[in-house]
Amino acid sequence: MPIMVKLDDVLYARRMTLTELSERVGITLANLSILKTGKARAIRFSTLDAICAVLQCQPADLLEHVPGPPTPDDD
Amino acid sequence: MPRPNPDALALTRRLLRVLIALNLLMGAGILLLLIATLVAEGPVMEALGVPTPDRNAGFVMGMRAIMVLGIAAVPITHVVLTRLLTIVHTVGEGDPFVVENAARLQRIAWAVLGLELLHLAIGAVAARTSTDQTPIDIDWGLSLTRWVAVLLLFVLARVFEQGAGMREDLAGTV
Repeated sequence: MPIMVKLDDVLYARRMTLTELSERVGITLANLSILKTGKARAIRFSTLDAICAVLQCQPADLLEHVPGPPTPDDD
Repeated sequence: MPRPNPDALALTRRLLRVLIALNLLMGAGILLLLIATLVAEGPVMEALGVPTPDRNAGFVMGMRAIMVLGIAAVPITHVVLTRLLTIVHTVGEGDPFVVENAARLQRIAWAVLGLELLHLAIGAVAARTSTDQTPIDIDWGLSLTRWVAVLLLFVLARVFEQGAGMREDLAGTV
């Protein structure tokens, strides 16, 4: 997928674990893990809002567009 | 989301299994009757209460044709019941909105359409064969309710297909 999720980098910069983020945003660890590893096919605005609010960042800090061929899952 | 009632699902599964068995038994019964009319035509007509003047070739052939059409309906009904049972299984497993169920619903729709056409064919043969002394009383004709049900099944299959696709998209949404 040409959209890269940089959640790992932001978490590292904030010295926060995925478990801690999960507790603070109220999203399951499993779902955050899917997002972090780039396996998610879509992200809700509400999820983005919650993560940005907790990590004090902008959506652009979490997502990056990398030119490349789309994966078969992309519609 | 409300969970399906396990008792109602278990009852539906049992009922469908009974109907599957009854359908096969009925098919076997009609087949036996058909064979009986071939090997012992006289006694079978006697047992069925067909008066002697009506026991001509046309009447017997008409009855046999109805039996053949009845036997043809058995595998089609089997398709409807077994697909329905599989759909009920997926409801029990908590995941009915899958593309496979849309395909099953579409097969059920085609099968019900086939059954309706067979129903009309049986009615037509019965009307031709029936006599005043031996009326073959088969309730047939165009039923708006049944044809609307066929249409509804096709529409439902398409809705299911769309819904399953949307659900698949949602599955990867965080």
